Amino acid sequence: MIGSDNILIKSGTVFESSSGKEIVSDILIQNGIIRAIEKNINVEGISKDLVVLNCQNYFVFPGFVDMHVHLREPGNEEEEDIGSGSRAAVRGGITSIACMPNTNPPVDREYLVNYILSKSRLIDFKIYPVAAMSKNLEGKKMTEIGLLKEAGAIAFSDDGKCIQDSKLMYEIMKYASHFDLPLILHEEDYSFSNYGLAHEGYYSAKLGLDGISPFAEELMISRDIMLAKMAGAKIHITHVSSKGSITLIKRAKEAGIKITCDVTPHHLYFNDSFLESYDTNLKVNPPIRSEEDRKALVSAISEGIIDAIASDHAPHFEAEKNTTFKDAANGTIGLETLFKASYTKLVREEKIKLSKLVALLTTGPAKILNIKAPAIKVGNKADIAIIDLEKNKKIKKEDFCSKSKNSAFIGQNLYSEVVYTINNGRLEFINKSC
Amino acid sequence: MKEKASILNENDIERILKRISHEIIERNKGSKNLVFIGIQKRGVPLAVRIAKNIEELEKNDLKIGRLDITFYRDDVASKIKPVIEITDIPFEIDGKDIILVDDVLFTGRTIRASLDAIIDFGRPKTIQLVVLVDRGHRELPIRADYVGKNIPTARDEFVEVRLKEIDEIDMVTICQAE
Amino acid sequence: MLSTKNIISIDDLSIDDINLIMENADSFYEVLGREFKKVPTLRGKTIINLFFESSTRTRTSFEIAAKRLSADMINFSASTSSLKKGESIIDTLKTIQSMMIDLLIMRHSDSGVMNFIAGNIDVPLINAGDGKHQHPTQALLDLYTIKKSFKDFKGLKVAIAGDILNSRVARSDIKLFKRMGMDVTIVSAPMLLPENLEYFDSNYVYDIDKIIEDIDILYMLRMQFERQDRKYYPSIKEYNRFLSLNMERLKKMKRGSLIMHAGPVIRGIEISENVMNYAENYSGFKINTQVTNGVAVRMALIYLMLGST
Repeated sequence: MIGSDNILIKSGTVFESSSGKEIVSDILIQNGIIRAIEKNINVEGISKDLVVLNCQNYFVFPGFVDMHVHLREPGNEEEEDIGSGSRAAVRGGITSIACMPNTNPPVDREYLVNYILSKSRLIDFKIYPVAAMSKNLEGKKMTEIGLLKEAGAIAFSDDGKCIQDSKLMYEIMKYASHFDLPLILHEEDYSFSNYGLAHEGYYSAKLGLDGISPFAEELMISRDIMLAKMAGAKIHITHVSSKGSITLIKRAKEAGIKITCDVTPHHLYFNDSFLESYDTNLKVNPPIRSEEDRKALVSAISEGIIDAIASDHAPHFEAEKNTTFKDAANGTIGLETLFKASYTKLVREEKIKLSKLVALLTTGPAKILNIKAPAIKVGNKADIAIIDLEKNKKIKKEDFCSKSKNSAFIGQNLYSEVVYTINNGRLEFINKSC
Repeated sequence: MKEKASILNENDIERILKRISHEIIERNKGSKNLVFIGIQKRGVPLAVRIAKNIEELEKNDLKIGRLDITFYRDDVASKIKPVIEITDIPFEIDGKDIILVDDVLFTGRTIRASLDAIIDFGRPKTIQLVVLVDRGHRELPIRADYVGKNIPTARDEFVEVRLKEIDEIDMVTICQAE
Repeated sequence: MLSTKNIISIDDLSIDDINLIMENADSFYEVLGREFKKVPTLRGKTIINLFFESSTRTRTSFEIAAKRLSADMINFSASTSSLKKGESIIDTLKTIQSMMIDLLIMRHSDSGVMNFIAGNIDVPLINAGDGKHQHPTQALLDLYTIKKSFKDFKGLKVAIAGDILNSRVARSDIKLFKRMGMDVTIVSAPMLLPENLEYFDSNYVYDIDKIIEDIDILYMLRMQFERQDRKYYPSIKEYNRFLSLNMERLKKMKRGSLIMHAGPVIRGIEISENVMNYAENYSGFKINTQVTNGVAVRMALIYLMLGST
């Protein structure tokens, strides 16, 4: 069954991209292309190798786009590689990802962009490379933005790091604006985050962890809003974490600045009280912030200030997390829980519309990256995630297929389970436990 | 615990302690070299009463110490005592005749621990043991020099000594676990 | 006998536990005053003193406490361990656990490390200080020191002065003192405090003169100017003006009030040279008493912990 490109999705609740409507329908896929979306498709006479997926109790969504993923290849393949990362993505119903350039070496030259693209073609999975803004991510010298774009970079970012040199940032913005590519900005003023391990607040005081003030993020967002306004650049603030950041972005949007932003499921799901266990899987940068901040992120989703939800999938091998909180690396894996965690928190708990969530995982990020969003439409190549929304399971370390298991969600009860994923027209994943 | 029989009352106890006081003086040919150590908790008031009796007879002042033997038990881990009583031996014991006082002599383990404890404080000339009740069932080769009353008991019985200073009444009873 | 297997945070102990430790400490204190200062109570028990951060007082205090009780105490410090060879902390602990020990006493420079360790090994654990998080035995010995000078904890006015932000002693002490009904005032400055003071639930003043006449206990915290994250404090001169104890302030303190410090005191910073020299004559000066009490309290704690296994 796996690998088949002749598929009949039977009686699924289809999430139609154009209208946002939910209709119970069949979908016929032939040679990877969506041929029909109709009730009770008659398959008589259609080739014998047609795979029929009975989807009566399942939702059928367009494949998700995760615009913030660390694939660790080249350089740290023991943590993740392009192949394992893609398999983890497919398991999470994701069929397109943008990968960050902080590999080893960092993606700051054309051949590295080419390397990722060739791998992507080889495994037949849509990977959009994001290239570095500064050489070797050092924040000192601009990369060859024009050449990198021509090689296939879809955006620029120094993610994991933030360029402290404001003049350099300004020059990058001015130059990048010629190529109309977004700059994905990890915002962090180091003077406010040095030594920091946790959100500066009640829990950092209680737990004796050095604090990271929200100023670390907000000061840099303020700076970059000012610079982007002058430079006419397209900026995208990634993994926004604080209430103050939301206010700044909201105002900038109202002022007509070309600014977008994303949040991660873990910032939407957790607050800093979870750190009482000193669980190193919750050590992320920016840090998990207070309940007040978390609520502000959720409201920002309702208000339409947030443009995308992205996982910031950051694999780390065991020894980097199985240590003290101070010594542990930053980051959580997130591909396999991107939908589950967001759905559980936003739709089940916070009563945000399912269509809103789906937009933030499909059309939202696609628009930011200026790529074609996967859509369930006749004539399109099939990128489809079929999900059982009623399933509820406690997340276990053993359940992940990513090479690294450092998930912040281990131990949490999450709703929904991806049952099938169709990627690039082919049935790529079947969840045997469903 | 079910009370089975009352063995000694206030008057009995007073008579016994008087008798023991005389025996101590007789055996030691006076009381010059005596010091008293009561084992916490009910050995302490008994030691005080005996010492008082002797002071009256001999017209002198006697020294009394208190000893908690928890630190010297051989079963610390299994029978931890919630609060350890104070040990207070505010005098030299080297060369002294120590009158060690406890309420009930049973297996002998408490006395064994007391002897170890006392030796840590110095080298007395003798240690003589006073018990109000000896109920038998010894597990170690230990005997008392002065016994108030021998009370044969069954292993599962329990001798309860109550003293005015702690329990507001002087009384010894045998109880049975229910 | 205690309600908890591990003592990581002062909050792990119930009020009953705390009272039990306080009540027992006197009996152990008596042993320290003997000529022959050793009892056989914990013969055959093995305790590891695992220090990943240098310490003289606390390490020695635990060592003496264990030895007075006749337990076998093995000191293990990071410099002599194989940790330098890249062995992970968890591997080291598993190795130690394999040696069939009865109690682990540990200090480490990272906050929360004990929570991590406790989740990985079975041996009972006493936190002898973890980063900026907790130092519960210090808080217990401080409480015991206070108990010996005052009839009742309720309503006692305590000022804790200095670097709260980086102090595990402050975190444990303030919590414990508040639980016992004391009235706590923090004497500090914004750069020496967490941004959010809610957790401490205490009064706050920036100038020691504002409270010096009213308090029953002045607890001074150690101030290490050389530490990188304390670079925002202007100078020792500034510190002396607002946060230090000098002769003039000592004279203003109430009769019977106490001066405490977890040690070692940096003369001329927290406490002036003059006060330190005069200290011997002042009965309220408890810094050395704290050390003695520390041994008694740790003996009580070790006894209660090993007795409950």
